Amino acid sequence: MLDIALVSLIQDMSEKAGVEGTIQYWLRVGENLAKRMGKEAYMGWPSFNVALREGRTAFSIEGNVVALTDLAITDVDGDVVGYIYALEKCVFEPTILRVRYSVGQLPKADKQIADEYNMTYRDIAVCNFCIIHVKFREEVAKNITIAGQPLEALHLADRGFTGDTKIDEENLNKIGINKEYVRSLLRNYACVFALVMKGARLKGEVSEE
Amino acid sequence: MKQIEGNEAILDNPMVDIATYLFLEDIADKQGAAGMNNYLMSLAYSLARSMPEEEYTSWESFVDAVVKGESILSAFEKVNAVSQYCMVTVESPFLRGWKEYTKRIGEFPRIHKEVAEYYNSRITPTAIETGDIIIQTYRKAAAEKITVEGKKVRVAHIATVSPDGSKKIAPEEWLPILLEKAQISKTQLNMILRNNAAVWIVYPSQ
Repeated sequence: MLDIALVSLIQDMSEKAGVEGTIQYWLRVGENLAKRMGKEAYMGWPSFNVALREGRTAFSIEGNVVALTDLAITDVDGDVVGYIYALEKCVFEPTILRVRYSVGQLPKADKQIADEYNMTYRDIAVCNFCIIHVKFREEVAKNITIAGQPLEALHLADRGFTGDTKIDEENLNKIGINKEYVRSLLRNYACVFALVMKGARLKGEVSEE
Repeated sequence: MKQIEGNEAILDNPMVDIATYLFLEDIADKQGAAGMNNYLMSLAYSLARSMPEEEYTSWESFVDAVVKGESILSAFEKVNAVSQYCMVTVESPFLRGWKEYTKRIGEFPRIHKEVAEYYNSRITPTAIETGDIIIQTYRKAAAEKITVEGKKVRVAHIATVSPDGSKKIAPEEWLPILLEKAQISKTQLNMILRNNAAVWIVYPSQ
């Protein structure tokens, strides 16, 4: 019931604190959630990817996250500095269905909050929960080290419940992945992101310089 | 728990559940137990407001709908009827979120119990933690949308059991009246509390 209570709270919150106020709350929740999960350290990418597969990392709270190990990200020297990951099912989808079958319609605030976030922050949200989720991922990545190096999460693309998609072209350019390729990943996955070593000299970033 | 996709239950995602708890804690940090209590009650009222009204031609058909999960009173919890008016919630609707929080985050902060104490001192003294405030307020507000044989339905709470096993039973001075209405004895109440999460009554308004 907690998730349905949250949906009910969204409408209430946006009426009391305004849409912008709710976004601020959501960003703080994403940050706090990541902080409360604690830090993790791995010897290398293989051990991290195994931990992810076995559901032992903080990212596992999202559901089934798949490491697309054929999509390694390399830096300007050709060293592997990251991978692309995909979430099979949107974390908010069960809630959307549960609301649909117990209450009816999602509150209007869901779309209003996502639209406001897309206009004022980054154009990547397909529902209001993306705000918590994306922030959570970015903060969790900072708490994970691989071979002593902290990670950085780059959000790439997501697909909403009604099939609408959002693609972050700026991040795609950084890691040098084709937009249409990522779009094709969205046929099988709800959300695609990259984890790279923080400070890595990515090809896209260097060519921009 | 809804069962729509084939026979599979649609389970809420742990991240959404935990995010809700953290969101409530964030509100409590800023507004204290009183502010958090107001938010919890307010969201339960809005949830009940968004549910459709119901009417039944007999008390039996109403109880039947509640037990089958067809009524708004049992939209979020599995309810069994012990007597004509006494209902039991088999499993707390917050159990999954509670388990995920304790597994992934750790122990619940004290504020969840403090806000329940605030609620107990001002509204109805049968809450143990935040989730109880939501569900108890929701039950009362949802009952107001139900008419049986032309009369509105009322809800009163007798006892709650937390996932950690702690119990909160209505005050001694209230108990005889509540148990009489529920048509159960105090011993039977204790028996019911061994394997259920809440005991409450529904009755027609006078």
